[in-house]
Amino acid sequence: MTHSTANVPGPDELREMSPEEAMLAGAESGGVHVVHRRQRYPIPGTKAEKRAERGVSFMFGLAALAGVAFIVIFVAWPYVYHLPGEGSQQFRFYTPLLGGLLGVMLLGLGFGAVLWAKWLMPEEEAVEERDDEPSPDEEKLMTAATLSVGFEDTGLQRRRMLMGTLVLAGGALATVPLVALVGSLIKKPGNQLAHTLWGQPPEKYPNGVPMIYSDGRRVSPNDIQAGGLATVFPGVPGGVTSANTPTLLIRLRPNQSVQPRKGQADFGWGDFVAFSKICTHAGCPASLYEQQTTRLLCPCHQSQFEVLQDAKPVFGPATRPLPKLPLGIEVVDGTQFFVGRHDFVEPIGPAYWERP
Amino acid sequence: MTATRERETASEPRSRRGQPRTLLGKTGEWFDERLKVARPTRHYLNKVFPDHWSFMMGEIALYSFIVLLLTGTFLTFFFDASMGEVRYNGSYEPLQGVEMSRAYASTLHISFDVRGGLVIRQIHHWAALLFIAAMLIHMCRIFFTGAFRKPRELNWIIGISLIVLGVVEGFAGYSLPDDLLSGTGLRIADAIMLSIPIIGSWVSFAVFDGEFPGTAIVGRLYIVHVLLIPAILLALITVHLALIVRQKHTQFPTAGRTESSVSGERVYPIYAAKAGGFFFIVFGVLAALGGFAQINPIWLFGPYNPAQVSSGSQPDWYMAMLDGSTRLFPSWEIHGLFGRYTVPAVFWPTVVLPTILIGLALVYPFIEARLTKDRAKHHLLQRPRDVPVRTSLGAMALTFCVVLFISGGNDLVASGFDISLNAMTWGGRVALIILPPLAYVVTYRICLGLQRHDREVLEHGIETGIIRRLPTGEFIEVHQPLGPVDDHGHGELNYAGASVPKRMNQLGTGALRHARGFFQPVVEKPEIAEKLAEVEESEEAADAAERHDKIAVELEEVEAERRHQLTD
Amino acid sequence: MTEDFDVDELGFNPAISATGADPDEAPHPDRASSSLGARRRPRRAVWRRRFAGGVVLLIALIGMGGAYALFATSSGANTSTSTAADVAAGQKLYETSCITCHGNNLQGVNERGPSLIGVGGAAVYFQVSTGRMPAPGQGAEMVRKEAKFTDEQISQLEAFVQANGGGPETPTGNLRDTSLSLGQGGDLFRLNCASCHGFSGAGAPLSAGKLAPTLKHASDSQLYTAMLTGPENMPVFNDNQLTPDEKRAIIDYIQTLKESNDPGGSGIGRIGPVSEGLVIWVAGIGAIVLIIMWIGAKS
Repeated sequence: MTHSTANVPGPDELREMSPEEAMLAGAESGGVHVVHRRQRYPIPGTKAEKRAERGVSFMFGLAALAGVAFIVIFVAWPYVYHLPGEGSQQFRFYTPLLGGLLGVMLLGLGFGAVLWAKWLMPEEEAVEERDDEPSPDEEKLMTAATLSVGFEDTGLQRRRMLMGTLVLAGGALATVPLVALVGSLIKKPGNQLAHTLWGQPPEKYPNGVPMIYSDGRRVSPNDIQAGGLATVFPGVPGGVTSANTPTLLIRLRPNQSVQPRKGQADFGWGDFVAFSKICTHAGCPASLYEQQTTRLLCPCHQSQFEVLQDAKPVFGPATRPLPKLPLGIEVVDGTQFFVGRHDFVEPIGPAYWERP
Repeated sequence: MTATRERETASEPRSRRGQPRTLLGKTGEWFDERLKVARPTRHYLNKVFPDHWSFMMGEIALYSFIVLLLTGTFLTFFFDASMGEVRYNGSYEPLQGVEMSRAYASTLHISFDVRGGLVIRQIHHWAALLFIAAMLIHMCRIFFTGAFRKPRELNWIIGISLIVLGVVEGFAGYSLPDDLLSGTGLRIADAIMLSIPIIGSWVSFAVFDGEFPGTAIVGRLYIVHVLLIPAILLALITVHLALIVRQKHTQFPTAGRTESSVSGERVYPIYAAKAGGFFFIVFGVLAALGGFAQINPIWLFGPYNPAQVSSGSQPDWYMAMLDGSTRLFPSWEIHGLFGRYTVPAVFWPTVVLPTILIGLALVYPFIEARLTKDRAKHHLLQRPRDVPVRTSLGAMALTFCVVLFISGGNDLVASGFDISLNAMTWGGRVALIILPPLAYVVTYRICLGLQRHDREVLEHGIETGIIRRLPTGEFIEVHQPLGPVDDHGHGELNYAGASVPKRMNQLGTGALRHARGFFQPVVEKPEIAEKLAEVEESEEAADAAERHDKIAVELEEVEAERRHQLTD
Repeated sequence: MTEDFDVDELGFNPAISATGADPDEAPHPDRASSSLGARRRPRRAVWRRRFAGGVVLLIALIGMGGAYALFATSSGANTSTSTAADVAAGQKLYETSCITCHGNNLQGVNERGPSLIGVGGAAVYFQVSTGRMPAPGQGAEMVRKEAKFTDEQISQLEAFVQANGGGPETPTGNLRDTSLSLGQGGDLFRLNCASCHGFSGAGAPLSAGKLAPTLKHASDSQLYTAMLTGPENMPVFNDNQLTPDEKRAIIDYIQTLKESNDPGGSGIGRIGPVSEGLVIWVAGIGAIVLIIMWIGAKS
């Protein structure tokens, strides 16, 4: 700091001054000029001053009381959740009381401190010199010289081999931790994104992969009425919890016919069609089914798929139709149950660079 | 030690041997003997901070951050960042027996079975929302007043980084409970990662340790949320504040302010009392919100299940811009790039757009400096009207962001106002293209108009509302000039960047904005005025009496002299 | 049950499919009503039409009954007993309030109202008790209004429609009595219902002006009959897909949720981050900015 220190008083002088004068001198020595300073209550003991003090003290007192109340409520108020009619509903005041009392305590402290400054502390206006010139030339020259001589001392400029190998070592230092720490995070996607658990080896499931509800029951065509839909999963381990397998089974009305996409004409069964539930835009379940207009709406970004056009996107940001599951029937003990004949013929869900 | 003193003076009350006697003095002496702190302490205690209200918005962010640290630490003692499955058997009956991750179950535990857990969790979440909102309005203040110009470009860059980190931190935080709403958000985040060309699927598999959702993501987000990003935030905030202390604050130009000084209040004790009080006020507001307004009721959402979703799914407000851009962006996907590659539609609104926006924000100070060819240092702020191009660009950017924010919740707007959902999407797309340039033009004209009005008032004075009829019969309005006028009656004051009084009650002592009160004008309290008047009178009387006595004494002496001379 | 007959067998195209017209298509205001046109025709044509209508009705009834017997199972709930007097009273009500759009044989009117043959008393109960029917006009969505008919009149209408085509009936008894837990009901709700009605039953918009309504006014019976009959664009959840026990579990969950108190203070709508964002900007930033304006002012 290059403030003028010419008029900094000495210790003897300072001991002679009043505290206020010494404070001002201290400020001056740091380049801060107090240009206006006035006690708010130059005459001590007036009613106005007492009122102001009482006001600030009230705030602090309120804060203290609220703090005590907070502790009492925290310990003593019933907080356990009960359903209506099965126990005390007092819990619904627990959090509001705690928050409210904590708020009163903190606001009391806060407003008290601000009012303290506004009502009781002296009025003051100070000016501080910015002192923001760049460093003086002598400093810059000396620093530049220090840096350049230091660099010359290292001899790197002359010693090429040293510099070269140092750069190589530095490069290793930069990349090795990256590889060691981040390398094991890397996992090869392979073609995992292109398959779901609906695709099982035919030896294991010669009749097709059984279709189940989330509770494990097998799905029968009788279950669903025209205009209805259900969320179904493959009946294999992990089929219900996997993020790629949720499928919508929709039963259309007899007079509704589907315009199938190429190669998927026989993927339906009777009035039934099944599509991947995972939206091809960003992966949310697109399960808002408007059964009269046969539209599937995704709630996240409002993509809409027309079921009668094989779930082709007709509105919103989705670009690819929902993949269709090829349906089959397996008869077990005289009852028909759905199966998935094979996996979807394209990757489900959001697209990616190497999507086939 | 020096010689002893008997009188108490400016120095600390000292003992006979010159040692300090008070506790404060003893403490100070202890540290000073080891660290030589006397001068730096005084230097920082005397620092001057201007006290305009718009300068306190950054403090809101700072104090919210402190509240986040405090409440967050409490939460870490109870949260279990594991995705292992468990059957819930806590006290929230509607979820009993439901299978869920330990992360979700531990969050329910905090909310229902830990005393005060819910209020602290809610304060934490409200503080996160306030943190980012405060940073945004602070950024707007900095932008519109030009505080980012040299020498503060570095602080601007740090500030933008803080906003970006804050948003990421918030996203990580609300994804920790692994509930249905935030899990859906994670799914979308996965889709965003997948959409990155070339490396997309690798990034996704690296982050989620395999296919979505895997079993690692909550634990990884946990470490990001409680260790990595808070550490970086803390470091950046420290540098941000240190730069302000070093470079000193900017201020608005008014009478008596120059580029080479800053005026306001000293830190100790007045500014510290106000700032410390403000911390408690912000904390208090957050505590009240945390108690009275329920936030992130994860027990209503249910645990995350990839087959389930709720309508009206939105992310926290600060992510709504990205949600909006994703909803509005048309279904444009690139197929068959280089013969077989895909660039999904999600890539442009969620990766490219934020990168462009953040990049533009980061380099804006340098662009503006280059375009205006302004290389001077600036410590005085500009009124937004005086830089119409920048203000209009800012208005354009804000309009763009607001349209995206609203579009992020367009399904709720649609159901709330009975508007077709499809119409909201199309309306948003059209508004995004049309409204920002419109906002630019409108703001520009407004700025010019305000500038013209300033100069008009400087030239012609303030309209007093007093109508006079001249002898020639015409009516004129009397104008109060602001300064000396020339022969034609036009003012000679130049516009100096300060606000120009526009109304009569802004003149005189009432005009000194810094002396104007908030709820009523500042006047001396009557009793004090009376007492002061009394004191003055008595002083004057005492002076007069003294002078009277002095003169009387002198007269006597003169008389005595004369009598003495006469008798001689 | 909905229509299951063959168009060729009938000899003519029924006025409208049972699910109703495309709601995006608005009716032409200047198209004359069919009843007006019928009055202008000669008397013999009128009788022939009525005879043909009766034949259609008979075939539809047989077809309905057969299809119903084949596919539907018992709803498991008690069915209400209705008398011939109820059916007659219901017919009178029908003829004053419903016939314009649904036809004098419940076969529906083109561009106005779908056929009610086979929709069952449950559908009638839902539509009429929520006030959606009688509908004031065509539109993308029929919204809930105050019910025009009393409970007794609604039962009479139910009886009439049930007698003229069969279909699922309104269940009786305690519709929250289920063997499943609240947690299981919630799980079913989130899987089947939340995607349209929201996690807290607040409702949501569907495409092009349609709406999945809020559940906050729905009674137990209305929830049940809605699931059973799939009104408007809501999918149909028959009793094989969601068993009566599961339906009652869902109802138990929804109604319990509606009655339960928020532990965290005011629920601010229970719609999630949008209202939270509004609160933080208006109450949070708004209040604090006012406070800093006060702090910054000199005193």
